[in-house]
Amino acid sequence: MSTLTPGLVHTTVTPFSADLKIDFATFEKLIAFHLRNGAEALAVQMHAGESVSLSDTEQKQVLDFVLKQVAGKVPVLAHVSDSGTAIAAARARYAEKAGAAAVIATATYYWTPPAAMVFEHIAQIGSAVKIPFYLLHAPDEMGGSHHMNTDMVMKLMDRLPNFAGVIDTSLDWQFMINIVSNAWRRNPKFQLAAGNEYMVSAGAVGATSMITSLSGVAPRHIHKLYDICRTEKYFDARSTQEDIVLLRRAVVQAGHGGLKGALRAMGRDCGQPRPPLDSLSPEGYATLKAALDKLTWLTNEPRGW
Amino acid sequence: MALTLRGVMQSPVTPLKDDFSLDIPTYEKLVDFHVRTGATAISWPHHKGESLNLTMDERKRGAEATVKAVAGRVPVSIHVSSLAVEDSMALAQHAQKIGADAIIAITPYFWGPSKQAIYDYFVRLGNSIDLPMIAYNSPSYLEGVEIDAELIERLLIALPNLIAMKEASFNSEKFMEISRVALKIRPSFSIVAGVEFLAPSVPLGCVGSYSSAGAICPNLCTKLFDACINGRSAEARELQFKLARLWDLFRDQYPSSLKGGMVVMGRPVGPTRPPLPTATKERQAYIATQLEELGILSTEPHGW
Repeated sequence: MSTLTPGLVHTTVTPFSADLKIDFATFEKLIAFHLRNGAEALAVQMHAGESVSLSDTEQKQVLDFVLKQVAGKVPVLAHVSDSGTAIAAARARYAEKAGAAAVIATATYYWTPPAAMVFEHIAQIGSAVKIPFYLLHAPDEMGGSHHMNTDMVMKLMDRLPNFAGVIDTSLDWQFMINIVSNAWRRNPKFQLAAGNEYMVSAGAVGATSMITSLSGVAPRHIHKLYDICRTEKYFDARSTQEDIVLLRRAVVQAGHGGLKGALRAMGRDCGQPRPPLDSLSPEGYATLKAALDKLTWLTNEPRGW
Repeated sequence: MALTLRGVMQSPVTPLKDDFSLDIPTYEKLVDFHVRTGATAISWPHHKGESLNLTMDERKRGAEATVKAVAGRVPVSIHVSSLAVEDSMALAQHAQKIGADAIIAITPYFWGPSKQAIYDYFVRLGNSIDLPMIAYNSPSYLEGVEIDAELIERLLIALPNLIAMKEASFNSEKFMEISRVALKIRPSFSIVAGVEFLAPSVPLGCVGSYSSAGAICPNLCTKLFDACINGRSAEARELQFKLARLWDLFRDQYPSSLKGGMVVMGRPVGPTRPPLPTATKERQAYIATQLEELGILSTEPHGW
């Protein structure tokens, strides 16, 4: 099995044109921007990339397009989650064949099957491929359901030789410590990745990678945070972490259109999100822009493409 | 109001006799043990001290025993949270009367109060005493009832005697929001981790912990704090993992298993009051194997 350690992983939005079609011309510029600005790997069609609003065909198109643009410069991780086990497993197989370096999946959308079936769902996706498989633990994004636990992760380690690690967005110290301390006793190479920009606490308890959607907005500060954390100087990382938390807060408060609104404010317009996610209204954009203007450190970040 | 919290603070369990009555002499020995093994403050009775299973009279007697046994060696705070707010008010008055250094209080139980009601509660409680007050935040145990950044900001503006928070969300976002807002308003404000989750919190401004395992392994708890506060990240992580395993061992029916572990360590403190179970001999034997595996039996004090 590959010994991939993704490192600083930029996750892209999916640009849409005014008619809400995928805007591949802008997507090309966006990928180039990420590659020029510190991405050690790319994760595509994550939730920040509106994966759930893309058809199966579009998800394949996006992956093919990104892989072509990246042309092997960095590893590309493909998020393949779906409600149906067979659909997600087929998407994983497609990703492997297309050249993805790893696949990522979370639990089922909408369904709340018994724990044994959630396990089976994840295990079947992971076993559909030979490339590394990462489990995405995102209980808040999943409506509070599907809390993974250590027991499930240990069983997945038994079942899946390609089970590379857990990506955590829960920010839950008990969960992260429990997973990684137990997993390392069995396989010291098992990875914990921060699924967002809260890298100080995650790094302190063992995270080695960070998957960041704000990298499109503030790649330099994100890089700085990640670099300090990888040297384990967590006290030194605190002020940068606080800066990024304030950016994250401004983006989250703007609603579903916040991330693309922030990209637009930085001169990298990727359109609006697809329905049913709300577009960012002109008033909402003005409020977000005002909040971003207060973050003086953003003046050191790249503007435009 | 000058009270600074820092380091490994202990909230003792409540020793009980076989008939479930308070065992004050053993409690005094326990408090002394904690102070001798490095506790930088004593706080009683947290949930680990079975606070909600004690009568008002027992809580007052225990509070008096705490102040007496500590004898001014470290600060003493009294946990006053009760099901009825009026009882909390009375316990706060009593704490002040007997010479405690501070009170600590969690958000109100059971009712799922509004944010305004939580604010009103803390303001009323804090204004009723001339002692420092420590707020206690535990959203996961109280089904989402919590002190968030907005509420702590309002409380700090309203209460000059709000000096610290026991923060037990164990969540990066919640911790950072509270830390960011509170320290801006009151730089001396102390944020203390609810149990020993110090590796992820100290770099973000946490100053210590209310210990869960201090009655079992005070040396390990102190080592973890020292590693964290001095930025020895790899060592801190290893120690944190060990304490997390202990927390997993003890958190079930807390503090039943903890009391079972204390038997293993030669510091028996009697049963746990119903509705919590008492650790059986079999459970104690299992705990002993875990403590052996973790090296606790050979590195930590045995007996009083």
